[in-house]
Amino acid sequence: MSDILRSLCALLTGLGLFLSTVPVEAEEMAHHHDACVGTGLDCALVATPLFAKDGSLWLIWATADQVSLARSADLGHSFGPAVTINAKPLRLDTGGDGRPVVIEDAKGRLISAFAYFKDDQWNARALVATSTDRGQHFSPPHAISDDPASQRFPVLAADRSGDVFAAWIDKRIVAAAKTAGHAMPGASLAFAWSRDGGETFGPGRIFQEASCECCRLALAMDDRDRPTVLFRAMFPDGVRDHGVIHFLDASTPGPMRHVADDHWVLNGCPHHGPALAVSASGALHAAWFTQGSLRKGVFYARAENADAEFSAPMALSSADRHPARPAVLAMGKKVWLVWKETEETRTTVRLMDSNDDGSSWSAARIVAETTGTSDHPLLIGDGHHAYLSWLSRPEGYRLIPLETAQ
Amino acid sequence: MTRRFLVLAAILGLTGPAAGETAATVTAQAWNDMLKAHAGQPLILHFWGMTCGPCQLEMPEWGKLAAERPGLPLVLVEDDPMPMPAAHVADHLGKAGLAGVANWVLAPGDERIRVRIDSAWAGELPYTLLVGRDGKTERIAGAADMRLVRQWLDRETTH
Repeated sequence: MSDILRSLCALLTGLGLFLSTVPVEAEEMAHHHDACVGTGLDCALVATPLFAKDGSLWLIWATADQVSLARSADLGHSFGPAVTINAKPLRLDTGGDGRPVVIEDAKGRLISAFAYFKDDQWNARALVATSTDRGQHFSPPHAISDDPASQRFPVLAADRSGDVFAAWIDKRIVAAAKTAGHAMPGASLAFAWSRDGGETFGPGRIFQEASCECCRLALAMDDRDRPTVLFRAMFPDGVRDHGVIHFLDASTPGPMRHVADDHWVLNGCPHHGPALAVSASGALHAAWFTQGSLRKGVFYARAENADAEFSAPMALSSADRHPARPAVLAMGKKVWLVWKETEETRTTVRLMDSNDDGSSWSAARIVAETTGTSDHPLLIGDGHHAYLSWLSRPEGYRLIPLETAQ
Repeated sequence: MTRRFLVLAAILGLTGPAAGETAATVTAQAWNDMLKAHAGQPLILHFWGMTCGPCQLEMPEWGKLAAERPGLPLVLVEDDPMPMPAAHVADHLGKAGLAGVANWVLAPGDERIRVRIDSAWAGELPYTLLVGRDGKTERIAGAADMRLVRQWLDRETTH
């Protein structure tokens, strides 16, 4: 064995860094997203689905500077012409956690939200655009909030009356602290309501002062139209564990509750937000990732209602299998969980399901895999059936049926 | 110590594109080659992101370290959720005092390469690997305590 190879083996032994004991797959690994030029779904980094009330599937995706949307009448096998939501190219703030989203309100309007970087200091602005003609055209994107501080990771939900709730990560408090001369880590959470399908929003209000600045928010409405937001909070001593805030009514956020004591201390960005579903019973289903000192991996916990304590975290996999990016969906008493597991040459999506509102769970099974790069796995239901929504290379977009709701 | 770094850098070269050039995407082959070039020598692998606020705050500290230790065996790896314009990346690194340091980029959405680079890394940023001459590696998740990095460098460059 040459000296170089002996040195390499020492590196491998001491660390677990990959080296030449792993078969080199240069061609495979050289399959880059950045080589893809265009605004079509084939060049998308992320894609987010929506089932409209008429049963059609809408998909919104982002490429480097454009957000597009298209409709499928055959469960994602084919899509109609794409509609461009931002006519002017923007430096989009997109990624697995910062994905564009689209919802449908009670009046059938499609409302999309996404963020872009407005300056070279990477301050972002959250935008909203509305279509009143079933996605043929969208209004020019406009800011959810006119506050000059950075806004990222917007999420939307519509209540039964058609009002639209928006929440996002907001830097106004951090910016004010910086101006006052004292640095403040993280960000805050803000919300606003729109009574006109996203055409205008009321004043943005902070409802949580200390939040991680770089993880997606999870938002769900309960059966009384009260928003619940699950997020990676900033606890004392730099702990980035998860908190949940349930709104007592449309404008009154309840107290933040700690979901689980994982104790992930990180002076940095996890880039890994949680997932949340509220089932018809009012039970909260939370899934998240952590690298905490008390547990590592992907976990699930259930709360009987918005005021109840969460159950002890249930590990969905072992940390050495690299579980990540959980999603959760509830329909009736049926609940589904998916997450990614990444190996050196492939990524799998694994599924667990529950027939009793999250009290007991099936064994995990693989429902999709890819040898290419991939978006986060998402779950979507049409009220009757559940689907895995997943964008990957080289397979492209897939809507994979899971099981029928009970 | 500085002279030793200069000699090492001259012998090994800090493989990879320097800031200011278009960053190369990390591939298994290229990464292997880069590590081979540094085998048996101390190496700092620093993963950072343009859209990572804590990274932005920390980068000038790496710039100071590079300025005080010419030939610093530092390789930067940019990891963002979307492709970043090369000119913006170069400008950012230049402002941080890292214009001459090799910078690579991870392909967005490619979590497999992360597993290959370090099976313990879940993508949190900033993230630093201190690879010693004997291959023993220390991991730093989050912003690094530069005092400890300097101590590590002193140990690794003193016989």
